[in-house]
Amino acid sequence: MIKIEGVSKQFDDLLAVDNLSLDIHQGEIFGLLGPNGAGKSTIISMISGQQLPTSGSLKIAGHSPVSNQSKRLIGVAPQTTAMYEELSALDNLEFFGSLYGMSQGDLKSRSDEVLEFTGLSERAQDRVKKYSGGMKRRLNLAITMLHQPEILLLDEPTVGVDPQSRNKLFENILDLKAQGKTVLYTTHYMEEAEKLCDRVGILDHGKLLALDSVDGLIDEYGGESQLDVTTADEVITLGTQHPVAELQEILREHSNITDLKLKRPDLEQVFLHLTGRHLRD
Amino acid sequence: MGLLGAMVKKDLKLLFRDKMTVFFTFGFPLIFAAFFGSIFSSGGSGSAGIAVVVSDLDQSTESAAFVQRMDEVNELRVEILPEHEAREATRKGKKVAYIILPDGFGKAYGSLFSGGTPEVIIGVDPSRKAEAGMLQGVMMKLGVERFQNALSDNTSLADVLGDSIKSIEEDQNIPDDWRVLLNDYLPKMKTMLEKEEAMTATTSVTANGDNGISSALTPLDLNFEDVMINRDGPKNGYAVTIPQAMYWAMMGVVMGFGLALVQEKTLGTMTRLVAAPITRLQILGGKALGCFVALFFVMTALFAFARLVFDVPIDYPLKILLALFCVSSGFVGIMMLLAALGKTERGISSLGWGVMMVFAMFGGAMIPLFAMPEWMKAMSDLSPVKWAILSFEGATWRNFSYEELLLPCGIMLMLGIICFYAGSRMIKLEE
Repeated sequence: MIKIEGVSKQFDDLLAVDNLSLDIHQGEIFGLLGPNGAGKSTIISMISGQQLPTSGSLKIAGHSPVSNQSKRLIGVAPQTTAMYEELSALDNLEFFGSLYGMSQGDLKSRSDEVLEFTGLSERAQDRVKKYSGGMKRRLNLAITMLHQPEILLLDEPTVGVDPQSRNKLFENILDLKAQGKTVLYTTHYMEEAEKLCDRVGILDHGKLLALDSVDGLIDEYGGESQLDVTTADEVITLGTQHPVAELQEILREHSNITDLKLKRPDLEQVFLHLTGRHLRD
Repeated sequence: MGLLGAMVKKDLKLLFRDKMTVFFTFGFPLIFAAFFGSIFSSGGSGSAGIAVVVSDLDQSTESAAFVQRMDEVNELRVEILPEHEAREATRKGKKVAYIILPDGFGKAYGSLFSGGTPEVIIGVDPSRKAEAGMLQGVMMKLGVERFQNALSDNTSLADVLGDSIKSIEEDQNIPDDWRVLLNDYLPKMKTMLEKEEAMTATTSVTANGDNGISSALTPLDLNFEDVMINRDGPKNGYAVTIPQAMYWAMMGVVMGFGLALVQEKTLGTMTRLVAAPITRLQILGGKALGCFVALFFVMTALFAFARLVFDVPIDYPLKILLALFCVSSGFVGIMMLLAALGKTERGISSLGWGVMMVFAMFGGAMIPLFAMPEWMKAMSDLSPVKWAILSFEGATWRNFSYEELLLPCGIMLMLGIICFYAGSRMIKLEE
């Protein structure tokens, strides 16, 4: 669905994206995980046709990102809650829908649908400035999916969102995947990537360091799992690449096990392993 | 509704939901126009009295005294000029009315019971009905004073009776019945007054509408003349201050749209605009059209308000439409250039207010163009505000021909095109 080959983006002396190549498949949730300044938003802006790559090739379903065909396929939820706070949710939806040439009838029915989808129907007439941060994020998503795009580019969509709204957003995104939509999801929260994404690309300083499923990344770069076994006589702590085999061995040797803890590595360890830094550094 | 319509609708909603912008777009300009307009208008027919010019053709003691009385009353502000100049001053609108005391005024003024009514010729613009009515009242009040003067003093009344007896003897038009009656009554009364100077005269004269006597008891014979006014100046002070006030309204709109354009980037909404299947020209064109519609609407509303409330003449609506179109276009371009140069909200605020205030100072939005010193007038050519105000003034009280309007309107239009082109090329829509 999205094909990126050798794309770089240079801003003056800053190389924001460095020779990036990846394919994002139809119907998957693809996560771009990286700290602030890693180049995630720049990639989104190039895919949505807002910026041109300095070099390389980028295609959206075979179209150039700046073409109208491509733009109609894409819905962008920028990192900021991109809407007019002095207008109501309905006013915002009406305006942004008109940018895609939607008829009044379509606008009305789709506005009702997306407001229902994001749980904002009851506040549709309220000015956005009266919304909570979480509601604004949900409206941001509603506007993004208004024109029924096949690809949704969600740039850190949960920043500043309360847990309740975050869970609602997660539900929405998983629903979109169930509808067959392709989602590119950028975040610096590893938990979100682990929970939502089929595949994750680890990005740092504009460079794609690794790309695989969450499990694949952890297996490859996560390092050893930590196994804590408590017996009547002692506490055994060990790191291992093969926790199941190690556990079987311990069970054979000890019959008086009273407690057992297995801590699997996560994407944080993956990032640490790949960059030598933590995600939030 | 098309794309541009949606963009215009959205921008107008945003503009008019900002209370400060609404105040600076409508409230402040009206306060400005009302305040300074009332100051300028006080030179015309304000509370300081009706400005009249008097020409005394009679040159008698009575006419001179009458002129002096006119000068003394608060309701009038009197200037004395020869007849021709008096008429000319009124025709040019410099004075509200001329008052001419014709030959024979003094003689009629002094004869209480005989002769004609003292004639006064008043020339006034027929459209100034209120001033004409007030003038009539003031003149009749002054006319009545001649009775009070005569009847409240025995000596002067005796003089008046003597003059009247003499006039009755000479006047062949008085009916015989009246002549007999008066020749019997007046001499007796005169004798009585001369014998008893201290006596208080209580005279009641009844006239039955016959000539001579009845007309003599009318305070003044006011002959009003209609004057065709040559309006080579503003009708009132508001005609000057409304075009000035419009600049402040335009500044409110221009700053509002300039800031809104920059805020599209900071709010992130520009991301959505750029990511949508529309062109850069459509985005900027939508902004420009919104700004144009807002400017046009605001200025039209101010003109309507000026006409209805301040009585500013709107005699040439087509010329005003032309001026509105060109001036709005000019300031749309300026808005676009300011947004491009300002780049950030702080940048456009600083740059915008700075530039617009300098334009205002030298363009006539603070000091009227006609009141500027020469060096300032020369500099004002560089300010688009001058050409905007001149366009409005030319379409209203300056009564420019279309050829004359071409210069200020053409300058505004060209300025708009050049600034829009430059601004739209320079402005960066993407972060």
